[in-house]
Amino acid sequence: MSAVQHQALVLGAISFVAFVFFTYVALSSRRTKFGVFAACNLLFVTMVFGAVATFDLSDERTEVVVAIMTELPIVLIVAWVCLALAGGLPYLSGTLPVEPAVRRARLRTLLRSAPFVLLFFVGVAGVIGFVFPSPAIRVYAPAPIEFFVMKGLIMVPEGLYSGLAALVFVMAGRSSGLKRRLYFKNLAFSSGMAFIAMIAIESTIFAGVRVWVADQNRLAILKMLNTFETCLAISCIIVFALGLSLRYTPAVGGPLLQRLQTGWLHAQEQFESLEWQAVNAGAAQRLRDASDAVAMTCRLRNVSESDMEKALATIRLVAVMKDPSSETQHITPEAARKLYELQEEILGDDVLASKISWAAGVRSRASEPQTVKSAPLHDALRAALDLIDDHENDVPMGTRPLWYWIAAVSAADAKIIDPPVHASVQPGDYDGYRAAVDAYYAARISIQTSEDDD
Amino acid sequence: MKANALKRGFVSALRGEIVTLWHHFRDAISARSRVHGSRPLLTAADFQEELAILGLSGRRFVPKDYADALGDYLGISINIHVIPDNWYPELSRRLAISGRLGELCYSEQLTLAAIFVPGSLPPLVSTLTILHELGHLAAGDVLILPSEDVGGSHGLHAEETAFMTSPVRKGKKLARGSPFAEEALREREANMRASYALFAGCLGSDSPYADAMFSVL
Repeated sequence: MSAVQHQALVLGAISFVAFVFFTYVALSSRRTKFGVFAACNLLFVTMVFGAVATFDLSDERTEVVVAIMTELPIVLIVAWVCLALAGGLPYLSGTLPVEPAVRRARLRTLLRSAPFVLLFFVGVAGVIGFVFPSPAIRVYAPAPIEFFVMKGLIMVPEGLYSGLAALVFVMAGRSSGLKRRLYFKNLAFSSGMAFIAMIAIESTIFAGVRVWVADQNRLAILKMLNTFETCLAISCIIVFALGLSLRYTPAVGGPLLQRLQTGWLHAQEQFESLEWQAVNAGAAQRLRDASDAVAMTCRLRNVSESDMEKALATIRLVAVMKDPSSETQHITPEAARKLYELQEEILGDDVLASKISWAAGVRSRASEPQTVKSAPLHDALRAALDLIDDHENDVPMGTRPLWYWIAAVSAADAKIIDPPVHASVQPGDYDGYRAAVDAYYAARISIQTSEDDD
Repeated sequence: MKANALKRGFVSALRGEIVTLWHHFRDAISARSRVHGSRPLLTAADFQEELAILGLSGRRFVPKDYADALGDYLGISINIHVIPDNWYPELSRRLAISGRLGELCYSEQLTLAAIFVPGSLPPLVSTLTILHELGHLAAGDVLILPSEDVGGSHGLHAEETAFMTSPVRKGKKLARGSPFAEEALREREANMRASYALFAGCLGSDSPYADAMFSVL
């Protein structure tokens, strides 16, 4: 077996092992488009090295073709990584570029240019190799300067782009607040690209040694460089494999988030804004007096501010849902029920429910933010649906809070709804209801007295 | 000397002609790209890129932070005014009757933008309204040339993937693409920006889109 065949066998074996691993990655749940692409490239490289190890390729032009074919997959991988960093693979991979590239337009443009520049130089190198054939794959043989030019045209751009990619991965890994797993993932890919850059530098030096170093020293240096290259190749494959194995699953899934953005948020915003418009445009006039009485009743009974908000929201909802005008036609019990169910879905996810919040006062961080659970609309929706005789009610009457009864008494007094009834029992059977009635009429008298005084 | 003067005159005339020709060529190219431009609606991933440019990707933020970052990027001052109902009771009624929830005022000369929202808006609606108006600023909707503004929503089909954009006057905007020609689409995209911003601001580094910017392979 010649030195060429021996080296091809070693590199072919490494490529095959890497191909097996990447195929496993490509077929497993950890699949990424890069994993599939790398597996295909490694298969191709294995086949080329296999052919070199099996057949005697003595023709120099054939050697040039084989040399370029073994370099091409690495060039393609570097180009793919650069494009992925620049977010240039919209139909094949994720659409997002790496964060440092977004903030630096020139860096992004430079990364995007990788496939064109790299393939251009491979093409030029191919032309030079064909015009000036050289023993490209006979690793220890002396070579003419044209070989160095051909090799350099491929390796220098490859080294520069892989070095740049390594740097971008480092920049990404250094971002503040980055999760540990993502940090190590970027570190692994950065190391992988740095190894490719080092292989490119080493290959250029290797070509130079073949051209300029005399016979007696050349073999020893080339053997040493060959061993070094093999070590670099193995290290590169290991760190890429590690990077791909470090799969990160976000706490909140993209599809769920998309559903909430288009479903729940849109529904809740539309519901609340339509309600606000209806109330402020005067479509639900009966509401105004009732709201004042509810607020006064809550104060008399020392009901908390948040519960008072719920009572007020309930009476607003009931008034708007019962209003026949066209402005409120979209606020129906069906729409209310659908929104309530969407809210329940969010509340079923503890992580999400605790995170989705909005400032009660927009300009300040200090005020307590509202969440789906704490916002008055959630409980008010359920209460309003119950008050307008929603038959899906499953909350026992005895467990109703005081604010619910205050809203019920007020809505009935304002003739927005009929007095609340439920199954075979009367609301008057409940302490909460009786307390609400007493407080409500006391509040009405108080309001009346203050109006008379004015 | 006369020959030299003649030569200079010819050279300067030639240079002038070339410059004029170049300007015509550039205008023709840019006009063509502006008139016939089209793009799809904003995605959550596109919005995440905008946040990264503002330095807010992976961070929790409130509308005020977004407004400050956007103002710094655009080189304008953005003020948010939440008007209490007892200051100007007519504001809520007028906005409600007109079907609007807030108002954006923009002055290019003063490099100033002001957003007015009534204080009686429910907190979530108030937040989304402010983000919606900021979305118009980010998209560059305020830079649209008045004659190119296409009203109504004719030709608006959900199944379409790309919509016609409008030419804009010189000015800075955050969005990569030009604003849509149709007003309904601009409103729809401002709503989408508001919703993306709300979730991104709430989730911070837990946003899957923020994480995706550090896991590209």
